[in-house]
Amino acid sequence: MDANQSLIYRIACQIRCFETAIAEAANSGFVPGLVHLCTGAEVLQATLCTALLGHNDYVTGSHRSHGLAIGMGADPYAVAAEIFGKASGLSGGFGGTQHLAAPDCGFLTSNGIVGAQVPLAAGAALSNKILRPGNIGVCFFGDGAANQGAVLETMNLAVALELPLLFILENNGLGQSTSSHYASGGVSFSARAKGFGLRTEIFQEKDIADQMVALPLLIEEVRTSGKPLFLEAFVPRLSGHYHGEEKSFTAGEKDMFDPLTALEGLLERSGLIQDKEGYDFQIEIQDAVARALKSATPETASLTLWEQTWQANS
Amino acid sequence: MTQLSLKDALNKTLHHLMETDASVIVIGEDIVGGAGTNLQKSPDTKSGINAGINADKELSVELGGVFGVTAGLATRFGKARVIDTPISETAFVGMGIGAAATGLKPIVEVMFCDFMGVCFDQIINQAAKMRFLSGNQITLPLVIRTTMGAGDSSGAMHSQSLHGLLASMPGLKVVCPSNAADAAGLLKSALMDPNPVIMLEHKGLYTHQSAVEENLPAVPLGTGKTIKNGNAVTLVAVSAMVHKALEAANQLTAEGIEVEIIDPRTISPLDIGLILKSVTKTGRLLVVDEGAAFAGFADAVISLVSREGFSALKQAPRKLTPKHTPVPYAPNLEQIWLPGTANILETVKDMMND
Repeated sequence: MDANQSLIYRIACQIRCFETAIAEAANSGFVPGLVHLCTGAEVLQATLCTALLGHNDYVTGSHRSHGLAIGMGADPYAVAAEIFGKASGLSGGFGGTQHLAAPDCGFLTSNGIVGAQVPLAAGAALSNKILRPGNIGVCFFGDGAANQGAVLETMNLAVALELPLLFILENNGLGQSTSSHYASGGVSFSARAKGFGLRTEIFQEKDIADQMVALPLLIEEVRTSGKPLFLEAFVPRLSGHYHGEEKSFTAGEKDMFDPLTALEGLLERSGLIQDKEGYDFQIEIQDAVARALKSATPETASLTLWEQTWQANS
Repeated sequence: MTQLSLKDALNKTLHHLMETDASVIVIGEDIVGGAGTNLQKSPDTKSGINAGINADKELSVELGGVFGVTAGLATRFGKARVIDTPISETAFVGMGIGAAATGLKPIVEVMFCDFMGVCFDQIINQAAKMRFLSGNQITLPLVIRTTMGAGDSSGAMHSQSLHGLLASMPGLKVVCPSNAADAAGLLKSALMDPNPVIMLEHKGLYTHQSAVEENLPAVPLGTGKTIKNGNAVTLVAVSAMVHKALEAANQLTAEGIEVEIIDPRTISPLDIGLILKSVTKTGRLLVVDEGAAFAGFADAVISLVSREGFSALKQAPRKLTPKHTPVPYAPNLEQIWLPGTANILETVKDMMND
C-alpha cells in the first residue's frame, strides 16, 4: 500500500459520494432528465485518472462518465451544475449528464451515442502523436458499445495508423437491459481485439490490488511504444441502466462485489485508513452538489447568442 | 487573373494551407494512394496489416485521391501529415473530429458524399454538436471535403447531392463552390472557422477552368454572389447548376430576357439577404438545384423568400430539381433526371408569360 493507492481511494470515494448525491437530487426531482451513474466503476476510473496525472492525455467516455470527469479534475460543482442544467455547469447547461466536457482537464467528452466516443479518442491520440509525443488518448466504453461498428473500426484504425490509444472496455455484463452473453458473438471481446492485432490485457473484477499496479504500466507502455493497447476490465454495475428505473437489471446477485469496499478493506488492513467516515473531501463533494442545485438556470437569451456566434465565424 | 481548374485551385490551396500551418493535416481514403504496395520493402508478415503511418517509406505511387485533388501533398509534407486510412469512414471522420478538438486542423476527405451515410453519426451527432455541447470550450477547425453530383453514370450511391440534408443540421456549415476561385477561397475560410464545415465539390466541375486571382484570396462563409445582373427573374443556382443557369441566361439574353443569377456559394448559413434583395427587384424566383426534390435546399429557399419577401413576389416561386427518385444509372435516364439548360429556358419563359 502506498500514497498512490490512498489517492485512488480518495478519488474513488469522491466519485461514489458524488453519484450518491446526484441520486438523492434525482429522487427529489432536481435532475431534468435521466442520469446514468457509474457506481461500481469508481476504482477503475480513479486508478486510470491517477495514472494520467501530470500529462497532456485525453480521455473520452460513455454516457456513464460523471466519475471520469471528476477523476480527471473537473470541478465537481461545475459537473453537478451541468447535470442539473445550470448556467454554472461545465457547458452552461447545453450538454447535460451525457455530454460532459472538461477538455482543459483532459476529459475531452462523454457521449450520448453508444461507442461514438471511441473514434474521437483516436483523434486525440493522433493530435498527441503529432503535436505532443509521449501523450496518449484513452477511451472508455462498455460491453454494449463493443458491438458497435465505430468501436470495431477504431480498433482497426488505431492499429493501422499506430495511434497511442488505450481502449478500456468496461465490461459490466449489461448493455441497458441486455446481457453481453446474449448480444455478443465470438469467443470474447479480448479475442476480437487480438484479431485486430491489438495487445490485450484483462482485469478480473476482484483483482483490485493488482490493477492499481498494472494499469499505470499499461499506460506507460502506450506512451513509450506509441501503439494502441486493449484492456478489458470487468466491473460490476451497481446501479441500474439509469437511476430510478422501474426494473433494474443488474448481474442478478444480491451481494455484488463492490470494488470500493474491497479497496477500503485493503487500506484498512494496511493501516492507511482507520476511520472512513467524515473525510473532508466527502463533505466538500456534498457541499458542491448542494451549491450547484441552488445555482442559476441559463439565461434564455443564451440560445440566440449561440446562433449568432455560430454564424459570425467566431 | 489566370485560368485554373477547380481541382488545381484546391490542390494549390491545400499546399498553401499545409505550408503555412503545421497543424493542418489531411486524412482520407487513397488520398496518397498505394499505401502498403511498395514492393521495394518486403512486407513483414507479422505486422503486414499494421504497418502504421510509414513516414519513412518511399512513395512508389501517389494517386492523390480518386480525383487527384490531394496529389503531391504526401511527397511535400510527408505521410505523418497526409494520412491514408482504411475504408472506415466512421473511424476516420471521428478521428478527424477528435483531432480538431485537440489542436490539429484536419481536412478530411470523404470520397463521395453518399458515403456520409456510413458515418452520419460522427457528422450529425459528433461534429455538428461538439462545440455546442461543450459550451464553447471546444472549437472544431475541421473541414470535411467531399464530392457531389450526377452526370457521369456513377449510379445512385456515388452521385447524390446531399448539401440540403447536411444544411438542415444545426452546427454544420455547408459550402458548394461552383468555380475555382470560390473553391479555393471557401476552403481557406472553412479551415479558419471554429465550426465544422463541409465542402461539397461537384465531380463534373473538377476540370472546369475559370479565372482566379494569383493569391487565391479567402471567400467569407455565408456570402453569396450575384454572377449576372438582370431584372426579369431571380435564378438561384447551386454548384454545377450555376453553369447551366449561365448557359440558359445567355440564350435568354438573345431573346431579350435578362435573368439575375445568384450563386449562394454557402448553403448554410445562407446569404438570404442577397436573394431577398434580388427578388425585391425581379419579383420572380426560380431555384435550380441538384439536391432533393422534397424538403431540400430549393424548398428551403422558397420557404424563406415566401415568408420574408412575399410582398415582392409577382407569382409563385418555382424550382427545378431532379425527380424524387434515386439517381438512375442509364445515361439517357440520368440526363432527364438532372435539371438541364432546356428546362431552365422553358421555365423562365413560362414564368415571364405567367
